[in-house]
Amino acid sequence: MNKSGHKGIFTLEGIDAYLDREARLETTQLSDRLWTVSDGKYRSLFLEAQHSVIAFDTFGTPAKARAYAAEIDRITGKPIKTVIYTHDHLDHAGFAADLAPEAEIVADEMTRQVVALRGATGQSRVSRPLSGREHRFEFDGAEFLLLNRGPVHGTGHLSAWFEVEKLFFSSDTILPNARYGLLPDTHLTNFVGIMRSYLDLDFERFVPGRYEVTDRAGFETGCDYIEAMQISCQKAFLDFVPIWVEDAMAAYVRDQLGPRFGHLDGFDTHCGPTGMRIVHHYLMGGWGLEDSPEPGILLAD
Amino acid sequence: MTKKPDHSPADAPCEHCGIFSVPGSDAIQGAWRDITYSPVRDRIWTASEGIYRSVFVEGRRGILAFDTFSTPGGARAYRGAMQRVFPRKPVHTIVYSHDHLDHSGYAADLAPEADIVAHDLCNRVIAGRKSDGQIPANEVWSGERRHYDIDGIEFELIYPGPTHGDGNVAAWFPSSGLLFMVDTVIPGVGYTFFPDWHLSPYVPAMRRLLELDWDIFVPGHFWVTDRAGFIANLDYYDRMAEHAQKAIAAGYDPDEKADITAYTREHLAPEFGHLFRFDEYATLNLARYMHHYLTGGWGIEGNMSAPDEPL
Repeated sequence: MNKSGHKGIFTLEGIDAYLDREARLETTQLSDRLWTVSDGKYRSLFLEAQHSVIAFDTFGTPAKARAYAAEIDRITGKPIKTVIYTHDHLDHAGFAADLAPEAEIVADEMTRQVVALRGATGQSRVSRPLSGREHRFEFDGAEFLLLNRGPVHGTGHLSAWFEVEKLFFSSDTILPNARYGLLPDTHLTNFVGIMRSYLDLDFERFVPGRYEVTDRAGFETGCDYIEAMQISCQKAFLDFVPIWVEDAMAAYVRDQLGPRFGHLDGFDTHCGPTGMRIVHHYLMGGWGLEDSPEPGILLAD
Repeated sequence: MTKKPDHSPADAPCEHCGIFSVPGSDAIQGAWRDITYSPVRDRIWTASEGIYRSVFVEGRRGILAFDTFSTPGGARAYRGAMQRVFPRKPVHTIVYSHDHLDHSGYAADLAPEADIVAHDLCNRVIAGRKSDGQIPANEVWSGERRHYDIDGIEFELIYPGPTHGDGNVAAWFPSSGLLFMVDTVIPGVGYTFFPDWHLSPYVPAMRRLLELDWDIFVPGHFWVTDRAGFIANLDYYDRMAEHAQKAIAAGYDPDEKADITAYTREHLAPEFGHLFRFDEYATLNLARYMHHYLTGGWGIEGNMSAPDEPL
């Protein structure tokens, strides 16, 4: 048994040491009210309001959630009264019961449904579901925008725009590098179109859900990379590449995209898995209703 | 049965090009595929182009075909194969196993006038997708079991719960002792990174099919197997789930391919190294399962439980 007894969906008895493994988090101040926190791979953000803290996500283990709470307490000395789930996945939003068990949990209505269905231990149920594309979130003197313009990653994905700071936060969508791996649970039909639509917001800094903070140009490069990968993967069919062989796909997309994107961190090792994932999107036609061409189909309103 | 809508846009970059958005796919999409075919039992035949496999059944007036193969050229070759076996019998019915284009994407090329049968969960995705060449069904059913008697062909369609894709159904021919299901049990290790597999309910849902009386299993890929092969394949998934958690517990990251490959060789090869395509796909299988445990399952389908009650 680990300290809190929260195990997500793990069933292995020997998993507790992993769930309790001590985490070292690094916090960086972004403005007088915003901080970003990273464990070296995953990244999130919290906001210091007048009398409390609004924390995005929880990190992916009970130990990391507790370390996140300790970091917030160390910096602000204020209680976490609100946790906003960016999406349903446990590696980002799985352990609110360890982060702030009394907090109000805010998330999209579709996230609420998946969280309730999953019943993972440690993932607190959503107490304030939101529906629709846009919400001006106001609490304890803080104000910012939460946005869900359609299925991009996970279920009920919310991004946040902080107008005052000209800062955009979107977890597990665009990365500052090419470390997309297998693009787990990413909905490719509308991904680039929706993510690019956020460029209508005035932001200069972009905080991703993994790796380092980047800027608007870095965000645009990320959109360009996935879009180029989608085109390259279609061309792989036309060029009779054996798309079911990872080495062949890796060689093909590396050759096609290397000159333009080879400078991105992780490109050499990740372009193969990413290519495999995207080429199967075209082979199979997308996965589920999330990949319908009309993305509004899954907005809860 | 109601009239089927046409999803072929006038400005498509090719003829029945699925969801391709770049021009030039006609060469590969339209390429003829060599299809082999053989009788399985009674009036049930199986057809394969080497990787994909399906079944077709002779009726009194015509042919009932499952799925369409993976390209327009494959669909036309599938029709050609059936016509060689039954030259005077048209394909009057297509049954979709599930929604994916590589199995059921090209009815417009196989038999555009045929009636099409699909589960409601499958047809909703097809209707939303509007893929060029994939015709929505005009006979849609819901629930877990539906008996059909079409042109003297008696069979049952069974939806055991979320497994792979949407509305994926097994076809059971009780009098022949034959079960057909696509993209679930496949000989060898799992396919690549288990694309669109719903791993939480998958094994319990599939095991429900063992309650039925059959001794031949026809998968959607590679070769025909039996009940023992079916059971052994599901056991592989259980072991992969266990190994994925062990790898996470040991500190492995599913995004670090070299590390996962090393783990796979050390811990999985002794038990599974003899399986078809182990070297190609075991690492991807493990990485996908690790993502499952880290993220918690994907969407509604990936977080449902398979029904506990018998079929």
